[in-house]
Amino acid sequence: MKSSELVQGTLDMLILKTLALEPLHGYGIALRIEQISKGVFRVNPGSLFPAFRRLERAGWIKPEWRPTENNRRAKFYQLTTLGRKQLKTETEEWERQLAAITRIMRAPAIGNL
Amino acid sequence: MVKEVAMFGLRSIVAGVRALFRKKQMEQEMDEELRGYLDATVKDKVRSGLSQEEALRAARVEMGSIDAVKEEIRSAGWESTLETIWQDLRFGLRVLRRNRGFTAVAVLTLALGIGGTAVVFSLLDAVLLRPLPYPQAERLFRLFPLEGKRRRGVEQASYADFRDWQRQTHTFESLAAYDGESLNLTGTGEPERLEGSAITPGFFATLGVSPVLGHEFRIDDVESVAMLSYALWQRRFGGDPGVVGKSIHLEGRAYTVVGVLPPQVRFRSHPWATPVSDIFVPVVPAPARNWHSVRVLGRLAPGVSKEQALAEMDGIAARVARAYPESEALGIALEPLAQYVVSDASQTAWLLMGAVAFVLLISCSNVANLLLSQSAAREREMAIRKAVGAGRGRILRQLLTESMLLAGSGGAIGIALAYWAIPLVGRIAPPFSSLFSRLQDAHLHLNWTVLVFGALLSVLSSVLFGVLPAWKAARPAQSSFAASRAGGMRGGLVALEVALSLVLLVGAGLMMKSLLRLLDADVGFRTEHLLTMQVSLAEAKYRTPEKQAAYFDELLRRLSPLPEVVSAGATVDLPLTRSETSNTVEIPGTHPKMGTAGYHAVSAGYFRAMGIPLLNGRELGIADSASSPLVGVINRSMAIKYWPNENPIGKTVVVYRLFRERTPAGTHVQFNREVLAIVGVVGDVRQLGLDVPPDPELFMPYDQWPAEEMSLVLRIAAEPSSLIPRVEKEIWRVDPDQPVTEIKTMDEWVAREAAGRRFILLLIGAFASIAAVLAAVGIYGVASYGMRQRTHEIGVRMALGARGQQIVWLILRQNLSWLVIGIAAGLAGSLALTRLLTSYLYSVRPTDPSTFALIMLVQIAIAGLASIIPARRATKVDPMVALRYE
Repeated sequence: MKSSELVQGTLDMLILKTLALEPLHGYGIALRIEQISKGVFRVNPGSLFPAFRRLERAGWIKPEWRPTENNRRAKFYQLTTLGRKQLKTETEEWERQLAAITRIMRAPAIGNL
Repeated sequence: MVKEVAMFGLRSIVAGVRALFRKKQMEQEMDEELRGYLDATVKDKVRSGLSQEEALRAARVEMGSIDAVKEEIRSAGWESTLETIWQDLRFGLRVLRRNRGFTAVAVLTLALGIGGTAVVFSLLDAVLLRPLPYPQAERLFRLFPLEGKRRRGVEQASYADFRDWQRQTHTFESLAAYDGESLNLTGTGEPERLEGSAITPGFFATLGVSPVLGHEFRIDDVESVAMLSYALWQRRFGGDPGVVGKSIHLEGRAYTVVGVLPPQVRFRSHPWATPVSDIFVPVVPAPARNWHSVRVLGRLAPGVSKEQALAEMDGIAARVARAYPESEALGIALEPLAQYVVSDASQTAWLLMGAVAFVLLISCSNVANLLLSQSAAREREMAIRKAVGAGRGRILRQLLTESMLLAGSGGAIGIALAYWAIPLVGRIAPPFSSLFSRLQDAHLHLNWTVLVFGALLSVLSSVLFGVLPAWKAARPAQSSFAASRAGGMRGGLVALEVALSLVLLVGAGLMMKSLLRLLDADVGFRTEHLLTMQVSLAEAKYRTPEKQAAYFDELLRRLSPLPEVVSAGATVDLPLTRSETSNTVEIPGTHPKMGTAGYHAVSAGYFRAMGIPLLNGRELGIADSASSPLVGVINRSMAIKYWPNENPIGKTVVVYRLFRERTPAGTHVQFNREVLAIVGVVGDVRQLGLDVPPDPELFMPYDQWPAEEMSLVLRIAAEPSSLIPRVEKEIWRVDPDQPVTEIKTMDEWVAREAAGRRFILLLIGAFASIAAVLAAVGIYGVASYGMRQRTHEIGVRMALGARGQQIVWLILRQNLSWLVIGIAAGLAGSLALTRLLTSYLYSVRPTDPSTFALIMLVQIAIAGLASIIPARRATKVDPMVALRYE
């Protein structure tokens, strides 16, 4: 299946959503987004890591070095209280917009008048 | 919400700063994180069946360039921008250090431009931007009475008119009157002549000033009270807090000190002619309405416009004039006090600002030109940068950073120059000008305003000279078309420099010619070896005219026999000291004529001491005493004006003698008609000033017209100032309490007369010289750049037998059209702009053809020299070397 570009500006929200369940490291997050979207979205590291840096700066996620399953050190990201709040507002905003766009797209074509 | 945004900003700043300081650790963590990601990807791919090698390759392809990813991560924070700037700065410094010659020329050029502009800006700041030291000074106005059919505005009003205006006005919150008054202070220490003002009650309240000690004059304080300036209080009374209530001796009379003014009050009774007033006494009321003795100022009531006040005051003055026929004030004119105080100083300041702006423009175009030549030499570097992926914005930013560095260093050096030059300019400012007064009162120095201005100016100039070359260098590829366009740009900049410097040179030339003509003007007497000084008698001590005359007789009798004194004389008003003495005269006859002439009471030896030639009749002599018939000597102008075809000797003139009497009710003033006979004619003298043509003057023996204030003139065989101590000793031997002021040689008075024009000439001349040198450097730079570009061609031509002359011409021709355009534009610009100089010129028209021609030749010579040096170097090119040059 062909993977496609993310909808503009949704990466931050998807990362927050992914982290809502449990703390994950970079690769884990990328993998999770790919799996859940059934391979539709593929995130490349060139945009993923700058996004971490951005979210970290905003105080929405917090990094922590932890051992991985195969006993190596990895940087895990964890959602902060602030991040949880942000996820909520972004989800609401997203749903509002999605509903609006869907309504527009389902409206009868004007050319048929 | 605001709090959240603030928190967000704060966190970002803290994180950014931490990133800057823990850069190494951050980099390591980033490496580790990315490596972990790669490993995990590879492991996944191996699990799905790829070999280790294939998995690694696939993972790398997916990830792309690791360095690019890192760069993206780094630029997610603001601190990366900072780092880029830092990199640009470091690189810029390296570039500038590598091209030392270029950097030195550019920085020096900018230092001159920015420093010069900062100096002139400090003048402008002191003259125009510093407010008067009074609250709500914009509501303060000077009131001028309008006289005669032409409604000519005059400085002074009569006291009686002023009182009527004061009582009737509603648009002014308060009106006050004042006039200059110099007083002899005696009693404590050396006798001293103090500059001061006579003021009416409520004067300082009108200005909005309250005394630091005591109070100002009240309505019932008619006389014998005084206020001190802060400076005088400190200097003469040691800041004694108990000075209020103490008695001081002014003009031999006792005055009670009632108040001391705050230090910021620097009041001058005449903004450009007098020093700061140190002492204040009450105005003595004078009922005569034709006796103009006070200057009037007022504070507008809140919410009243100037137009409303003018309408009301004009009406009041007209009504008062109708009620009292002898009142001469038919109307009123208003001028904001600030404008009155600044006077023509603002014109001078703006003129100099314009001149120095030209210098700045020239230095910017010079540096732009240097950068253009520089960027040609850096084409390879730019090509490489573009090839490795530097975007246009990146290159633009790099080059502009270099420009900022140049402008910053130039600005810093320029400000250092200004720090040294600003006090210097303050010192050479012409005394007795509003400019001088403003500079003194504003305490001219390098202040914060000037510093900020200098910094802004540096940024502005870096944009001015940097943008064009940077934009050109950042452009994609260089075609030969673009190269020729750059040539045009360079030529245009040179033309601009030539034009601007030509305008400045013409201005300096005109000023120079004016000054030479002024100093060359025939003043009508011999100015060298003349010592002059002023002696003002205390009124209480020398109350009668006879006593006054006797004092000066005695003084001259003692001074004349001093060994080096060739001759001695005295006059009420020295020539070239700007004292206006014009008065009414009447020429009797079948058709009596009214006219004007300057009245001068002089001693018997005055003409001889001054070296004024006697043309006809006799001089005034000792025999012309108070008891003998009234006589007078006129000057040539007066003879020509009133007796054009007759011998004036023996003719009579009606003059008016002023009687002034102080009574408890005020000063009574009266004019008496008296007739005198003309006994002689003397040569014309520039009485009022060097640049004022002679007017009719009438000289009368001072025994017949005694005055309490006289100037002594001593013609001295030796250097005049060497005799000052002897003269002072003699004067104090007659009266130890007698102050002597204005001890100067006549040459000093002449120099003072020329000081205003000399100041303008010095500054414009300095700017013009800098401009000419910079323009020459610019022409030289472009010519030698042209030569370098064509080294190969020159080699070919020389190999084919071209002679040196032809080569020189080849190089010269290249810039010729631009130079011609520059000179033509400069001449046109001068024609348009020199009329701004009109009021500073003396007997030279602003379009003086000989000055224009001379300056044009000078400019052509400069341009020729600057282009011929590189052109001659071109002929020294070895053809073999040149051919291998490419």
